[in-house]
Amino acid sequence: MSIDRPEPGGADPDISVVVIVYNDAPRLTTAVRSVLDQTLRNVEVVIADDCSTDGSYEVARSLAAGHPGRVRALRLPENSGGCGEPRNQGLAEARGRYVMFLDSDDTLERNACRNLLEAAERTGADLVSGRCVRVYTDSRHGKRVPWYPWLYRCTRTVESIAELPDLFVFDTLSTNKCYRRAFLVENGLAFPRGIHYEDLLFSAQAYLAAGRITLIPHTVYHWHVEQKSTTKSISNRRHEINNFTDRLEIHRRIDALLNRRGLDELKLHKDIKFLKHDLVLYLRELPFLDDAYRHRFAELARGYLQDFPQAAYARLDRVQAICAYLLMREDWDNLMPAVDTLINHDKISAPLAERDGRVYWCDRYLDDPGAREVMDVTALGHHGRPLERMFLRNVLTGYAVRGDLVLLEGAVVNPLHAVPADARLTAELEFRARRRSLQTFRFPVRTLRHEGDTLVWQASVPLSGRFRPLGVVDEVWDVRLHLRADGRRTTSRITAGNVDLESAAAVRVRPRLSRLMADRLAPEVSAKGHLAFRLAQHGAAARHGRALVDRHLHGSTARTVKGAYRTLRAVKRDLASGTRKVQVYHRMLRLLPVRRGTVVFESHLGKQYSDSPRALYEELRRRRLPVTAIWSYAGERPDGFPDDAELVRRWSWRYLRALAQAEFWIDNQGFPLRLAKRPETTYIQTWHGSALKKMGFDEPGYRVMSEQEQRAYQEALDRFDHFVVRSEHDVRTLARAYRIPEEKLLRTGYPRNDALVRAARDPRVPDPSARRLAERLGIGPDRRVVLYAPTFRAGAGGGVQAFRLPFDVQRFADRFGDRYTLLVRSHYLNRVTLPPSVAGRVIDVTGEGDITPLLLLADALVTDYSSVMFDYALLRRPLVFYVYDWEEYSRDARGTYVDLLKEAPGPVARTEDELLAALSDLPAVGAHYEAQLKEFVDKYGEYDRGDAAARIVDRFFGPTGEAR
Amino acid sequence: MTQREIFFVANEVNELGGVGRWQAHMARLFAERGHRVRIIGIAPPEVPMDLGTHPPFETLTLYDRRPRGRREPHLPLGGIAPAVRRREADRRAAAERLSRLFRAARPGAVIIVTQVWAMEWVALADTAGHPVVGMSHESFEASRRSSRFERVRRYYKDVDRLLVLTQEDADLWVGQGLNNVGFLPNPLPVMPAAPSPRTEKAVACIGRLSHEKGVDLLLDAWAEAAPRQPGWILRIYGAGDQEAALRRQCTELALDDSVEWAGQTDDVTGALARSSVFVQSSRGEGFPLALLEAMACGVPCAAFDCSPGVREIIRNGEDGLLARHGNTGELARQLVRLMADENLRDTIGERARQNVRRFAPEVVTRRWEELFDLLER
Repeated sequence: MSIDRPEPGGADPDISVVVIVYNDAPRLTTAVRSVLDQTLRNVEVVIADDCSTDGSYEVARSLAAGHPGRVRALRLPENSGGCGEPRNQGLAEARGRYVMFLDSDDTLERNACRNLLEAAERTGADLVSGRCVRVYTDSRHGKRVPWYPWLYRCTRTVESIAELPDLFVFDTLSTNKCYRRAFLVENGLAFPRGIHYEDLLFSAQAYLAAGRITLIPHTVYHWHVEQKSTTKSISNRRHEINNFTDRLEIHRRIDALLNRRGLDELKLHKDIKFLKHDLVLYLRELPFLDDAYRHRFAELARGYLQDFPQAAYARLDRVQAICAYLLMREDWDNLMPAVDTLINHDKISAPLAERDGRVYWCDRYLDDPGAREVMDVTALGHHGRPLERMFLRNVLTGYAVRGDLVLLEGAVVNPLHAVPADARLTAELEFRARRRSLQTFRFPVRTLRHEGDTLVWQASVPLSGRFRPLGVVDEVWDVRLHLRADGRRTTSRITAGNVDLESAAAVRVRPRLSRLMADRLAPEVSAKGHLAFRLAQHGAAARHGRALVDRHLHGSTARTVKGAYRTLRAVKRDLASGTRKVQVYHRMLRLLPVRRGTVVFESHLGKQYSDSPRALYEELRRRRLPVTAIWSYAGERPDGFPDDAELVRRWSWRYLRALAQAEFWIDNQGFPLRLAKRPETTYIQTWHGSALKKMGFDEPGYRVMSEQEQRAYQEALDRFDHFVVRSEHDVRTLARAYRIPEEKLLRTGYPRNDALVRAARDPRVPDPSARRLAERLGIGPDRRVVLYAPTFRAGAGGGVQAFRLPFDVQRFADRFGDRYTLLVRSHYLNRVTLPPSVAGRVIDVTGEGDITPLLLLADALVTDYSSVMFDYALLRRPLVFYVYDWEEYSRDARGTYVDLLKEAPGPVARTEDELLAALSDLPAVGAHYEAQLKEFVDKYGEYDRGDAAARIVDRFFGPTGEAR
Repeated sequence: MTQREIFFVANEVNELGGVGRWQAHMARLFAERGHRVRIIGIAPPEVPMDLGTHPPFETLTLYDRRPRGRREPHLPLGGIAPAVRRREADRRAAAERLSRLFRAARPGAVIIVTQVWAMEWVALADTAGHPVVGMSHESFEASRRSSRFERVRRYYKDVDRLLVLTQEDADLWVGQGLNNVGFLPNPLPVMPAAPSPRTEKAVACIGRLSHEKGVDLLLDAWAEAAPRQPGWILRIYGAGDQEAALRRQCTELALDDSVEWAGQTDDVTGALARSSVFVQSSRGEGFPLALLEAMACGVPCAAFDCSPGVREIIRNGEDGLLARHGNTGELARQLVRLMADENLRDTIGERARQNVRRFAPEVVTRRWEELFDLLER
């Protein structure tokens, strides 16, 4: 049936889409089709052909003929060489109230016009912009990457671009937008001619002229791109860098616009973006270009960058700032390594230099205070990193083929002499296929010795003889150097550097699938600048053989095989999935008989061997009770877990089986919530700290859960058969919040705190674990120890915020370094970086799993809102509360059980000065707060009497115990 | 203005509840504008709502009894159970009835699918080129926690427009890859001639006594707020499965003196006229009509910020007060602020009555008609 609609082409169209084309006849139809198929029908197409020679214009004309009134075609009299002029011409022809631009190789999303028009009419904006998605046309998996998605997360309207600088500096496309045509005409907006990056200038002008801009999260534009699998040659890299002139010219024009309008803030954002992104884009290419080009580039860059304000540099990452600085000085010797780090994040490329307790990128420029600040890389923490975790720059200095041998030479940087001069050195080269393969090849490095700031090496690799790839499936091989110094191993990749690999000779190889697959191995440079090798076919036999294989790889047999392989992989994935494991656990494992006397221990979800489960375990061992102990661990197989217990990895099949058959579960946080406990198993929940913040069903998040979710959570909590508390405060807070009935409570105190109570009872006998810790950390018996143990701060997304010491650690060391050693323990997910200048006086103990020895060792504790305060108080030693962010904390907190400011049994410092003042006289703090501390302990630790482990073991494992 | 034929296709014609009320109200508004309105229900209602004696729209229900769900195991060897076969045949027959109606409609007709379950039939039917508007009457978050999430993504993927309640919800659905999403608020159900005098020291809470409405949270908040404002009472209207538990909780919290259980009421406007503050402590809401009604009555509101709909209706601090979701202490503080300050109650109450007019029926109806026009362009 026919539907009465406004006659297309009759009234003025709502939107004119200007489609530009140059020698792209095959794709033009698809682009135009995507406009004609829009859900908004009142749309016209204006095709602007840039004087194509491939028949594009004929295609355009036939499209126009096929859709009279909806498609028009025009042709430029001569080729303009860019996108700007055709768009201008198309725009001049447009009749719609709104205008959009589309390139012949891209497409519009079906609803694009309707969504943009709706938003434009609703808000009255001059410019509406929607999400653009890059569609990889040659990707096997239909890869799609949204363009600056964070700008397009939600609908928003701004009255001026100054409100949203990110849009101005990042989304410089002209194509994902809908412009009110009268707005373009009134402001005389047009694309520049004869220059690249016309989009940048046009967008900038449009953004600045627009009275109102609306962003919508809807996808409007599909930007089709090809993932170039072939590596770029030097010549097309040169071409790209030539474009730099055009880019600078466009940026200068935009700067002029901004200056005229006095938009300094926006200009600063643009400068920062230029340094962080545009410049970096070109810097990354430098290693692949020759000296003449580098020099030309540096000159151009310097001419533009020298006017940038200091504030722009201040916002750069360390390495970016160093690169910019070195580029200005054309210090290529230092710049090229810095660029290597720019490309390979975390790589240590320079020998580094230590001066006055700080670490610098290089030892030049340090007389200039400004430069010194730029070069200061102390915060990167390279100096504190063990050799095993250093990713060192390793530059290829020589490449030659001698018959069957490939001779390789290189130099590995040795930052801050991390590898000592007298270290015993060995090294080997490893060849590993980039796609997963069954084999790797290792070859010894012949010579290896110190030379200045580097370790130089030479190897002659018998690639022709001993290197046997399979062929076809392992085409590309990466090379790594494993270097051992006194048994410690560090792995580096080999940077191609100045060695010309493009014209280097290939060596003969003999793949296991015969020489029909490949007969040569040729060196190449990876995208990150590293040496790699690729199988090649030089002889006719190899070329034909390989072509045959390629044809069959896409045949039906191959498809069947690939399909079967994929199914197999899916089955394997499914078997290893959590859901499947939970199912098997409940349906099968739990039917196995209970193993009497087995206890599964877990502390902090398997991350540590610590806390009350450890104390209970040690008590069992001390009494030599015949229990089978199983400890769970998370992640990598850990150090420090007991030797005389079976270790099982969390969520492994063995873990599930151990839990299913155990007689006891003992942990301090919670075994996986989804695993039900069989009634024959006894679950002793020791918990891990008294509560300051609201927990469980007292937390708003749990309170607002649906009935069903609350029931599931309650069922997980109901698995606890016993719950350890250390005071009636715990009963009122934790037990209530987790709805644990009276009969399940164990009023014994925490087993982990037994050692603290004993130490408080007899302060003269140092605890052996504390003594061992002091020795390991190198703390002399004459030094006082202050432990700083703050709680972690949740980030915006709920994750753990990055840790920054909230006071000047240098100042602490200068003032107290002669008396105190400060131990810093942050959340285990955080990293602490300390400058070398405080070495020995301030020590990072974040890696210490068990906190109890730290508490025993510390003569005073500085904390904020951490529940460690309740435990440390048992020692009756001074406590200082450093709550520099109290306002923020008390505002964001989900509510607290304890009024910390009122009850704190120690000085509460809000500022760094107050903190240092409190620390300056710890004995006075101790004396002043003695009574309050006692009251605090009585209230929050009344059941901690030093016999918790013994009492619990007696009850469950003793002669009259429930276990017997 | 174009006079159109408008079809509502919903789970039921007149199920008691928020969506049912919205549908009947909207149908009436369209009819008043001269459109021909028909409401088609898939199944008969479980708890019917009275549509009045002569509703200005036609109604039709496709099934005599509620059809069973779709998921049925296939027989071994790829066979289909006879019961499933029968059900599919019924389904096709029902869809065919829809097709006939749609085909007979004049150009310019619009099909509004009120709920996603009904869309399963519309998807099978021939919509004869008429635009289809799908709707989801709950917040994105609520959908995500239910089976409707997948069904919305599947059945509404290609409708001409998917309408949700707020811009914020729409953006979230767009984030799920649906590119046809827009939004339209619910119209204000009533606009009483006079505002509440706001003289009685009473806080009103109106809604079912179910877990979802969070009256248990309100009682906790009230236990903090009441002692700080003696003389005020909390009047709880409604009935439901949680009533006994809530009364027990009330007694445990020693609130019996300051809480009044007023039972279910049909006279919401009257109840609001006897209150000076309105409180809503729900665990989830779409575009809550009760809040709109309270504001229309000029009663200042305190509510949990539980969904985009609530944020859309109340501008915190201006025409109502919000507390972070589930934070009973904060809700208590907001209640105390309102109870303690008569000026604040008057300012917020008057501003609420004023601001809520942006959801007036004529405004919302106009936006619908603009949408119909857009879908034709």
